[in-house]
Amino acid sequence: MSAILEVRSLTKRFGGLVAVSNVNFSIEAGEIFAMIGPNGAGKTTCFNMIAGLYKPSGGEIAFNGTGIYPDRDFWVNYLPPLAIYYTAMGAVRRAIGLGPVPIGLRPHAVTKLGVARTFQNIRLFSYMTALENVMVGQHARMHAQLWDALLRTPSSQREERRVRDRARELLRFVGIERHADDYARNLPYGFQRRLEIARALASDPKLLMLDEPAAGFNPQEKAQLMGLIQQIRAQGITIFLIEHDMKVVMEISERIVVLDYGEKIAEGPPAKVRTDPKVIEAYLGKGA
Amino acid sequence: MSRSKGGLLERLAQLPPKSLRAFATDTRVPGIGLGLVLVLFPLLDPNKSHVNVAADAGTFILLALGLNIVVGFAGLLDLGYAAFFAIGSYAYAMLASGQFNIHIPFWFLLLTSAFTAAFFGVLLGAPTLRLRGDYLAIVTLGFGEIVPRVFKNASTFTGGVNGIVGLDQPSFPHVLGFPGYKFGFNPVPYYFLILAILLLSVVLISNLRDSRLGRAWMAIREDEVAAASNGINTVTTKLLAFAMGAAFSGFAGTYAASKLFIVSPDDFGFVVSVSILVMIVLGGMGNLRGVIVGAVLIFFIQRYLLIQLPGWIAALTANIPFLASVDVAGYVQRSNYLIFGLILVFTMLLRPQGLIPSAQRKIELELGTTEEAVADLRGSA
Ligand SMILES: Nc1ncnc2c1ncn2[C@@H]1O[C@H](COP(=O)(O)OP(=O)(O)OP(=O)(O)O)[C@@H](O)[C@H]1O
Ligand SMILES: [Mg+2]
Repeated sequence: MSAILEVRSLTKRFGGLVAVSNVNFSIEAGEIFAMIGPNGAGKTTCFNMIAGLYKPSGGEIAFNGTGIYPDRDFWVNYLPPLAIYYTAMGAVRRAIGLGPVPIGLRPHAVTKLGVARTFQNIRLFSYMTALENVMVGQHARMHAQLWDALLRTPSSQREERRVRDRARELLRFVGIERHADDYARNLPYGFQRRLEIARALASDPKLLMLDEPAAGFNPQEKAQLMGLIQQIRAQGITIFLIEHDMKVVMEISERIVVLDYGEKIAEGPPAKVRTDPKVIEAYLGKGA
Repeated sequence: MSRSKGGLLERLAQLPPKSLRAFATDTRVPGIGLGLVLVLFPLLDPNKSHVNVAADAGTFILLALGLNIVVGFAGLLDLGYAAFFAIGSYAYAMLASGQFNIHIPFWFLLLTSAFTAAFFGVLLGAPTLRLRGDYLAIVTLGFGEIVPRVFKNASTFTGGVNGIVGLDQPSFPHVLGFPGYKFGFNPVPYYFLILAILLLSVVLISNLRDSRLGRAWMAIREDEVAAASNGINTVTTKLLAFAMGAAFSGFAGTYAASKLFIVSPDDFGFVVSVSILVMIVLGGMGNLRGVIVGAVLIFFIQRYLLIQLPGWIAALTANIPFLASVDVAGYVQRSNYLIFGLILVFTMLLRPQGLIPSAQRKIELELGTTEEAVADLRGSA
């Protein structure tokens, strides 16, 4: 089994709305995996649950065998008082027949595990420079503690230099090194998308999740983006992609899962998904 | 660091002697000059009351620098910062006075006060972690009201409304032939002490700002969701902001209490919290120089200008016949806060970004911000 991400019976309810319903899929290490579906199908909600930003209403998410949800190691991952509290509450609930409330990894812990993501509606640190944005991206891989920060210890200075160099390298990789010292919000739209990818790569992820990276791109930019994604995958990073543009999706992804109204309606290689009657119906409406 | 190009300095730099040229273009020169003035000031100005005011101003610079970590760096609006000042002051008062007949040396408490205050910073910060903006402000406002009241009502420990009088004053012990030295009520040694504390604090805080932790604070300030998704533990990082902010007020509390000789619960009210906040907003949030200038300015207005103004007005109007019978000075005195308010309003209208803004604040105000609801993660682009 080389599944890097396993999602089982994943469900998310917002009040009465079931945004994601009983979805199963697994992503193999090293592949480019895409998730498609009409607007409001629940794709971004899936991303948010995997990234630890939303707590699922049910189901399981595991990354390389480690539980993102439920988090089986929360004794290690939480502050001791919280862990004691959760354990005690779990015991009480089990005693009255409810079963413990599952706890998931918090977003930063998911990133530390090796999952990085970009946002559909770009979320850069607007008033920090491009370089600083990418430096923040390396936070999870840095070691400087409070004392290092206060006293500027030699080891922290070395680390700062290393992180700065790596940030430049990543900016060069996505092709915006010239804009290293510009504020993120002053960058043109396309560069902002690239900067978000650079920032995500900065955490040395094993799985990179891209939420509609080609949105608002012209055909030339789309082609460049596809090249970039291929290059990232060539470095051994697994890609999980949400994308509306069928040309992009069909061209670069190896397997596709299709959501509609929160439910999985199809899964398989592009050639198979493209001709699936359910998918055609979801996209074009009944009777098409 | 950008060097000033062109102009007088550049032309001076063309002059032959190499050392002079190096001197004229060295960006450290103004800093060294200012340092010299600050060090020599008590020796040059024989008026001890001026030195005293300067030594008191130092307390507020320190407080402003501390609050700037919480508000300016991490973007957590704290309206009850004076509570930590109170905790620092009372900690010293209880551990170095006749109150319980405990007399721990000043220098030891000065060091440990940072930890004490940081501990309370975490304690008060923890319940606010899920709150942002306005809600956070309201809860911290509540803390700011509760803490001095606790000190006022727990009179068995804190002396109640009267506070604690007769705190130990710092001194250097008599060791190895060194004669020893007692600070007493002489403001000069206090002035040098706060100068040293401030220098150290500025170094530590600017180190913090340029570190992994400082970047994490800024990232949280900009976008908490994105920060968390980039591997920043928002809980511990925010708690560290509260703790570090409080730590510096611990220094300030110990220093101010020992200098004042007494602590009283009325010295830590809402007005103090707001004044410190005003210092950093007016000076330029996030920028250390701006914060220091703001603190000096507000302190000077509150403690000198507003107090001297009625006297000056009285002297001015004494010789004007039809005004002499009217108590103009009295009016001015009674409208103290009105004048203070007007000064604030006009400064902020003229320089909304603060006197010396940080780079971020500057472009924020130039370009405007786009506030996004943090809870809303729906990706509708
Ligand atoms: N925080 C939330 N609160 C309430 N409802 C939400 C929330 N987030 C998403 N939803 C709802 O869940 C459904 C799925 O939304 P989601 O953003 O996952 O769709 P999507 O597949 O990413 O669509 P798009 O292609 O438009 O980005 C939508 O009906 C949306 O309104
Ligand atoms: Mg979406």
